[in-house]
Amino acid sequence: MIKAVVIVNNHGKPRLVKFYKTVTDEDAQQSVIRRIFQQVAQRPDNFCNYLEGSIPEWGEGTKLIYRHYATLYFIFAVDSQESDLGILDLIQVFVEALDKCFENVCELDLIFHSDRVHYVLDEMIMGGMVLETNINAVLSAVNDQSKLHAASMKVQLSTPSAPSVQAVKSIMDGALTRR
Amino acid sequence: MFEKTLQDLVKGIRAHKRDPSAFISQSIAEIKLELRSVDPFIKAQAVRKLTYLQMIGYDMSWAAFSVIEVMTSARFGHKRVGYLAANQTFTEETDVILLTTNHLKKEFNSGNQYDIGLAINCLANIATPDLSRDLLGDVSALLTHQRSYVRKKALLVMYKLFINYPQGLRLCFDRIRDRLDDTDSGVVSCAVNIICELADKNPRNYLALAPRFFRLLTTSSNNWMLIKVVKLLGSLVPEEPRLARKLLEPLATIIQNTAAKSLLYECIHTVTLALPFTKKEDGSESRAVPVVVKLCADNLRNFIQDPDQNLKYLGLVGYVNLMQSHPRAVAESRELVLACLTDDDVTIRTRALELLTGMVTKRTLEELVVQLLKHVVAAEGAYREDLIAKIVLMCSRDKYAFLVDFQWYTGALVELARMDHGCRSAATGALLASQLIDVALRVESVRAFAVEAMAGLLLESMGGSSVNLNSNLTEVLLAAAWIVGEYGAHVGKIRGVRGGSGVDSGWAR
Repeated sequence: MIKAVVIVNNHGKPRLVKFYKTVTDEDAQQSVIRRIFQQVAQRPDNFCNYLEGSIPEWGEGTKLIYRHYATLYFIFAVDSQESDLGILDLIQVFVEALDKCFENVCELDLIFHSDRVHYVLDEMIMGGMVLETNINAVLSAVNDQSKLHAASMKVQLSTPSAPSVQAVKSIMDGALTRR
Repeated sequence: MFEKTLQDLVKGIRAHKRDPSAFISQSIAEIKLELRSVDPFIKAQAVRKLTYLQMIGYDMSWAAFSVIEVMTSARFGHKRVGYLAANQTFTEETDVILLTTNHLKKEFNSGNQYDIGLAINCLANIATPDLSRDLLGDVSALLTHQRSYVRKKALLVMYKLFINYPQGLRLCFDRIRDRLDDTDSGVVSCAVNIICELADKNPRNYLALAPRFFRLLTTSSNNWMLIKVVKLLGSLVPEEPRLARKLLEPLATIIQNTAAKSLLYECIHTVTLALPFTKKEDGSESRAVPVVVKLCADNLRNFIQDPDQNLKYLGLVGYVNLMQSHPRAVAESRELVLACLTDDDVTIRTRALELLTGMVTKRTLEELVVQLLKHVVAAEGAYREDLIAKIVLMCSRDKYAFLVDFQWYTGALVELARMDHGCRSAATGALLASQLIDVALRVESVRAFAVEAMAGLLLESMGGSSVNLNSNLTEVLLAAAWIVGEYGAHVGKIRGVRGGSGVDSGWAR
């Protein structure tokens, strides 16, 4: 199981945060991100890419597997069911996919388009399990959806969002005013 | 009204580098207004901005209803925005989460595989017991959807559903098992993946599938899948030891033939897990074993010697496992492992230390500890504590089974107590203290030496020398005082005791 995927820059600023194993509130999340960054930033680039048991919220069996590219750290927190070398390869595939999607990706792309980074990640990992490792399959799905996304923004719709949701909202609004 | 886009928000935060909080509060106030708009584009953009702010630590649970509104849009682009917000923020506490049930059900029937994919992905992130129970049937039906893209996602989300609604497993497992025969290898891979996770929790229930996995082991060429199959078979071995011997040959074949280091390592790892179970009833080893052990040991040694630090680390991990069943195979590489103790990387040093602790024998103990003492001087922090703890463990294990010279050991303990700087751990101090007392108690012949050494420590501390009085040494001084008091008969032989000649009963107290 993959417990989380985190991208932080060299100063610890989060660029992408995905928790598969829930960390309940924003303060706890930021605390975990800080701790991950502190552990990883201490290590020079010639050290191995594995850090063991360093995040208390996730217990002893969790390992941090990371790669450092220029100004960004890509960190996967995993348990013993994942292949150590396999995950390292997967990080590489993820970065290559981003590179293709953004054309020579750099940190600014992640800053201004963090949602698109999520869309790529979602084609590779779902619910903490590896979904697809082949870069062509990942890119194909991402590109198809980008086209759907772009096309849908141009379309004029006759109906607004689902009627059932609107109905509930008006009931709730009514209940609030009556109080 | 000019609404900020996500890009505007990010630019604004970057422009207020020193203190963005005022700007952000203002932005959130604007977002609250925008969420009341009837224009879906404005609403979606507002949710996009909130999602970004959530990443940097701002709670957005108050906007859950708006998230659902955006999520249920007919526009694909807006749906995605809503789903992402929901995936990142919805929890079991989100009271509107039940409103998603019908929407997801509807989306599962879409003609567009990406609509279905988004809905499944959402469920994988936000699943609650209620949602899981209500949607299990619909997702189960998707396992035989015509698109492999959908089948893969449906397989993986099942795991989340089972965690939340355990009764679902029995109802749906057959359909999952059938996916092992899917024509698409990506789907088979996902099926293996989910069964692997399930088997990790309850290996016994999946033993019946072992033959199928053996077949996959020898017929598949998909490395990711093979890694999971190997892991799976490894978790089944403790439940069915006969599997262990059957596994050796196919795994050895892969080890010899694969170019993928990840798969190679996984096979070695599973072999080391299986080896303890390969002993026959009469205690002898199966014929295949020594060959396989050598194969693994050789490959692991290559890993350790590799300049790639990652391989070095994994080689050491592999050796730790191999040591459990075949310590002699590992002992041959003692020098290599010792060399790893000087590595700059603390992850590697820690593993090497663990390995050395297991490799020690009566003959090699003293020499090893002397080497380790040198390392303690240079070490710091948690690694230093670990070093000291391991030294003590090696010497005291099994009622001092490996220790020959207790006087030497007492001396080593005193040396450890003296080396102090920066070691603030009470645990280490207590450990050393208890060892000193234990040895003095058990070994009569050492008492004279111990008393002399302890008196020395006490005199140093009283003399206000450079020895720091921190928690580490305090524990030891307490022990020292006890030892000197308990075996006061030996004190008279010490020179330099204050108060002149002979034993002063006050001092002995």
